[in-house]
Amino acid sequence: MAETPTLDERDRGGAGTPLLEARTLTKHFPLGGGAVVRAVDGVDFAVLKGETLGVVGESGCGKSTTARVVMQLIAQDKGEMLFDGEIVGGLSLSLKEYRRQAQMVFQDSYASLNPRLTIEDSIAFGPTVHGVSKQAAILRARDLLLRVGLDPARFAARYPHELSGGQRQRVNIARALALGPRLVILDEAVSALDKSVEAQVLNLLMDLRQEFGLTYIFISHDLNVVRFISDRVMVMYLGEVVEIGPVDELYDDPRHPYTRALLSAMPSMDPDNRTMEAPLAGDPPNPINPPEGCRFHPRCPQAQTVCAKVKPVLATAGEGARQVACHMEVAGSGHSRAPKLEEAA
Amino acid sequence: MTAPLVAQPLVAIENLTVRFRGAQNVHAVNGVSLTLEPGKVLGILGESGSGKSVTLKTLLRLLPESRTDIGGTVQVDGRDVLALNPQDLSDYRGAVTSMIFQDPMLALDPVYTIGEQIAEAIVRHEKIGRKAAMARALELLELVRIPSPERRLKAYPHEMSGGMRQRAMIALALAARPKLLLADEPTTALDATVQIQILLLLRQLQRDLGMGVIFVTHDIGVAVEISDRLAVMYAGQIVETGTVRELLRDPQHPYTKGLLAANLHGARKGERLEAIPGAPPALNEPPASCSFAPRCKHAQERCRAALPPVVTLGEGRLVRCVLAEDALAPA
Amino acid sequence: MTTLTEAAAPVVAPLAKSPGYWAGVFRRFKTDKVAVGAGIVVLLIILMAIFADYIAPADPTRSSMLRRLRPIGTPGYPLGADELGRDMLSRLIFGARLSLFMGVVPVFIAFVFGSLIGVAAGFFGGKFNTITMRTVDVFYAFPSVLLAIALSGAMGAGIANSLLSLTIVFIPPIARIAESVTTQVRGMDYVEAARASGAGAGTIIRVHVLGNVLGPIFVYATSLISVSMILASGLSFLGLGTKPPTPEWGLMLNTLRTAIYVQPWVAALPGAAIFITSISFNLLSDGLRSAMDVKG
Repeated sequence: MAETPTLDERDRGGAGTPLLEARTLTKHFPLGGGAVVRAVDGVDFAVLKGETLGVVGESGCGKSTTARVVMQLIAQDKGEMLFDGEIVGGLSLSLKEYRRQAQMVFQDSYASLNPRLTIEDSIAFGPTVHGVSKQAAILRARDLLLRVGLDPARFAARYPHELSGGQRQRVNIARALALGPRLVILDEAVSALDKSVEAQVLNLLMDLRQEFGLTYIFISHDLNVVRFISDRVMVMYLGEVVEIGPVDELYDDPRHPYTRALLSAMPSMDPDNRTMEAPLAGDPPNPINPPEGCRFHPRCPQAQTVCAKVKPVLATAGEGARQVACHMEVAGSGHSRAPKLEEAA
Repeated sequence: MTAPLVAQPLVAIENLTVRFRGAQNVHAVNGVSLTLEPGKVLGILGESGSGKSVTLKTLLRLLPESRTDIGGTVQVDGRDVLALNPQDLSDYRGAVTSMIFQDPMLALDPVYTIGEQIAEAIVRHEKIGRKAAMARALELLELVRIPSPERRLKAYPHEMSGGMRQRAMIALALAARPKLLLADEPTTALDATVQIQILLLLRQLQRDLGMGVIFVTHDIGVAVEISDRLAVMYAGQIVETGTVRELLRDPQHPYTKGLLAANLHGARKGERLEAIPGAPPALNEPPASCSFAPRCKHAQERCRAALPPVVTLGEGRLVRCVLAEDALAPA
Repeated sequence: MTTLTEAAAPVVAPLAKSPGYWAGVFRRFKTDKVAVGAGIVVLLIILMAIFADYIAPADPTRSSMLRRLRPIGTPGYPLGADELGRDMLSRLIFGARLSLFMGVVPVFIAFVFGSLIGVAAGFFGGKFNTITMRTVDVFYAFPSVLLAIALSGAMGAGIANSLLSLTIVFIPPIARIAESVTTQVRGMDYVEAARASGAGAGTIIRVHVLGNVLGPIFVYATSLISVSMILASGLSFLGLGTKPPTPEWGLMLNTLRTAIYVQPWVAALPGAAIFITSISFNLLSDGLRSAMDVKG
């Protein structure tokens, strides 16, 4: 949001400081026989207050694992997270308190609601865990139902299977808001919905962001949706961040070869100018024993010797707020397309 | 066999209705008519429950016949598909019409190698030996551009990546040289960079082999990338047809317009989307009025009173909406 | 969010409850004619056992040396008489008591303990799961009949001991089902969402797990009732369960087997009673399962 974000009274660091800061988050899943899935491998990013950070990438890039680590549904192996300047799970911000402030909406609207609970009971569950009386929690649930566009008189006492996918996803959003969070992680939250319903839910998400001053982490494989809703976008590949930056800058002028490939794989929407060549060959590799050096180098059209040997670090590229992990952006990296050292100096 | 006259369409569906019987009947397809010229690609665009996949399955008679009522006629390459006897049906499947699916793991048999499955499909339709069939299978794998095809011939489906499996399934579908290929969301489950590879492959195969293709999808971007013509389905009916260009540049039906807006291509950041309100109807009754009227901001009394007219705007350009009729009428 | 934290009026207006899950189950169950029929048979047998004193035409233990092994239809003995001249009908009616008891009670106790073990193992997973479930598997590896006989044999004959041995036999299969259903539910997003809202393990199990696993476990347990009845009859047949002259179907089958050539129809009656009861329980649990299965 370009406008001044509505500041929460719980705010500590002030506007413009990150709400969430992830530092070298790492999560590996050991398989049998010494193999390790490097699902998330040293991921650094920050989410500013009031902004929407889009996260894109293909299967195996670690975007969903990142979401679950951020939500602390699984613990990271390494790294730490700061929420409004305080270490998550540390002395001043307990995990339980953090969970009041960060919530998540899942992709599968049916699986994320307990089939034996009525809609209002599902929404009221979180607040009761945090000591709100059952009666107050139910009242809050009905108020939230109204705010997500479902008439409580009709829907509050229904069960999940009596609702359509779009309605269920509205309930999940209401449930996430029941604790009054500041950060909401939306993990493919609109991906399973039909296009016409998806647009309704996106409108709702934008309204709620405004109304409650929320900060979103919006994970999706749909690049159109991410462009529409995000302020900044983070591109992941094989458990690492390859590029992060303001949405229009990144879409109009992608700097990392993978971002370029991903964007040019989007259907053209123009019958007179169809895509003629696939930007990449083969499938995205799986994150078990990923390649040395730059993880993208085996598929990168511009790869050179240095790419196979040295791992590029995420660094500011150009003059904007963009960060790219590519040797072509670093002066003196040894890549022939890198800017010359004297130029940079 | 003499070549069929150019004028004869490869597929001609006339007033197709499909009803599933059960505790509650479901009128999945309600009067669909469409034609496909040989060597052309028709995209059927629709959301879940629009009847697009059911229409496709009817072309191969894949619906459970014991609890399905099918009305209307379905002609493919001069055959009356709904009247085929079991022997003719099994000759027809694969050799005239074949199909690729969203999930190749369900279409491929996990206990046979890719080579064995393709060879089996060839032998079923042609009188050639096992060895010759294997050689043809290898050619097919090369055709769908699977790297190191000799090795893949001996691979099992689970040993391949998602994109590779999709290619193997396409090779299997092409084994008996069909004239019509039906594609049921074959790229929906794939990653973006793989999806475009498969789309380009299908486009090239279609052109090289001169097949007719009916491609069902919910993704308008995918449909544009592969189709010559589009048919938009809603609640078991086709609401608009035309070339891709016509539908994209000048959509007439309010539902088509809504779908295009919901694709977000070119949507302005921060602006509210013009979303279609509500959800599709349940289809427990056959439609007696415009199915889209409850969600349509242009809906009028007559939309709720009777079925909307099918308005012909041009050659193969049909719209099922009163607005189009008004636009045609002299002012 | 302040508007939300203050509950303005402390009155929660009652809303028209939707029919809900169990109403749906009942509605689907009603349409299943076979299951409803089986349910009625089970109900009749239970009523018969409860009101045996009023229904039975004669004392089930009063014997008569003169009227041994009478055929079905003998006046005063509508279903004939057994090898000691006791009224078969009365013995079958009274026998239902012990047979039902031996069918239901061990399964019920095993349901409680098996669910406890299985839900805990499934929910907490990891090493606890491995240790618990491998232990359960050791018992599960024995064929149930052999295990029941071995345990009963070791502990000695008698109703209490056979009850105990049957309970032990049924805990492993129920625990396994409970574990697998719980593992499934634990992976559901709504359990994750509950964790994300800060709920502890106890609350999650109580609110989100039990409601979703007890139904399927219960249905499975119902299908074990027939097995339990047959096993109990088997134990009595071998002389490890009920002692004569107490009427019990398995024991009756045992004592009448020598008469199979003299009065085959009479000798087959206890078997038929066991068969009808157990198949009714099975059909009932099948019907419950499919009624509970459907989402909509």
